[in-house]
Amino acid sequence: MGKKILLVEDEKNVILGVRTCLDAVGYDVEIVEDGEEALNAVSREHPDLILLDLLLPKLDGFEVLKVLKGNPETAKIPVIVLTAKAEEEDRQRALDLGANNYMTKPFKPQELWDRLKSYLSV
Amino acid sequence: MSTLPEPVNLETITGNLADAVLMVDTDKKLVWLNRKAEEFFNAALDKAVGKDIVEITAIKRLRYLLDDVFEQHEALKCSYEEASVKVKKKDERFFFKIAINPVFHQDNLWGALVQLTDVTRFHELEKIKTDFVSIVSHEFRTPLTTIIVGVEMLKEGMLGDLTPRGKEVLEAIGADCERLNRLIDNLMELSRIESGTIYVEAESTDIADLVEEAVRPLKIQADKQGVEIITDLPPELPPVAADFNKAVWVLANLVGNAMRYTDPGGTITVRVRQRGKKHFFSVEDTGCGIPKEHQEKIFRKYVQVSGPGRKGAGGVGLGLAIAKDIVMAHGGEIWVESDIDKGTKFTFTFPVYQEKDSVTLPEADQ
Repeated sequence: MGKKILLVEDEKNVILGVRTCLDAVGYDVEIVEDGEEALNAVSREHPDLILLDLLLPKLDGFEVLKVLKGNPETAKIPVIVLTAKAEEEDRQRALDLGANNYMTKPFKPQELWDRLKSYLSV
Repeated sequence: MSTLPEPVNLETITGNLADAVLMVDTDKKLVWLNRKAEEFFNAALDKAVGKDIVEITAIKRLRYLLDDVFEQHEALKCSYEEASVKVKKKDERFFFKIAINPVFHQDNLWGALVQLTDVTRFHELEKIKTDFVSIVSHEFRTPLTTIIVGVEMLKEGMLGDLTPRGKEVLEAIGADCERLNRLIDNLMELSRIESGTIYVEAESTDIADLVEEAVRPLKIQADKQGVEIITDLPPELPPVAADFNKAVWVLANLVGNAMRYTDPGGTITVRVRQRGKKHFFSVEDTGCGIPKEHQEKIFRKYVQVSGPGRKGAGGVGLGLAIAKDIVMAHGGEIWVESDIDKGTKFTFTFPVYQEKDSVTLPEADQ
């Protein structure tokens, strides 16, 4: 069975693209579309890694990071931020909150696969 | 022909101007100020006279700008950015452009006339434009993600087989996506620089590493084009004081530009030389050259040079404007020399690294 990745993203087309990209290399993908649902899904699904957008409904990605990394039970799950926010202050804020990696959109599938590989072994 | 009435006093000429006008002696003590200056700096003429101009205006930059004028015996010559200052007044912020002219009496330098033009509205419009660029850039990134991921996977055959023509079309879409992506990056970079939020951390940087990092990714494309990239670095150059990523960006941008304007069989030479406390980086091509009339404006934003032999630039004319901002933020200079049909040479300087080097972009305020 492939490693389980939780994709937190609210843009339908990006979901399709990223999901296709992850399916192609055999990851199991769970998708949620807002920050609150992301926290529920983490407790329910115990993903091996989280791909997290920052601009999300209900609870934004920074808040999600704060909760996840502040909880000893979820703090060790690697989180790769996947966002259109390219400003240095956003990157720094996310890394300060405990994000393991920060990728700006757009990206190529290979870049995503390479980063996933460094946290997961398929 | 009419002549000016005698005696002409400053009050007659500048009393009702919309600009603040102040006159100082060579000790920078106020001798006179017009009504606009009295009103803005809340300083009555009789109480302000004899006081230091910086004490009254709180514009510290006036001190060294006046030093320059007194030293050169010439009107202030500096860039718009250098001559712009931000002044806080209660909760409001104003922007002024400074002009200074020396005043002579019987051929001797006597003082200077300082004119402050309110350009606050201009700055507000610039801010609106910068914010707009930033929002648009963000909004482009998300749809581009879907397109780039889809194109790449189709190209790799991960979503089924393609006809040769289908592959060709996808290659073209992929290349144009890259172009759009570069444009967005450039717009964002410019927007950061203009908003003054960019911080340039000048550290001790190995020049060979810097050149290698800038040139290596471009060599494959250059080989395909039949253009040779030559690097010419003397051994044991001392380190440069530079923000590595930004310096790489400048050099790669200049080499990338040269590649666009150099025909197969041509060469691009990246050369670094040290002279005193400066490193001179140059990128010289054997391309079609830049017409004289375009050389001055080439570092301005949104300027592209077109003409016989010049291929489509594939951008909107931001690269050199950004390069100039980055070089200036390091305390360097950049310029171009070019001859039609012979080639173009861009040169920029960065300081040789010295202990405790740390450079930030010049800010508009005090």
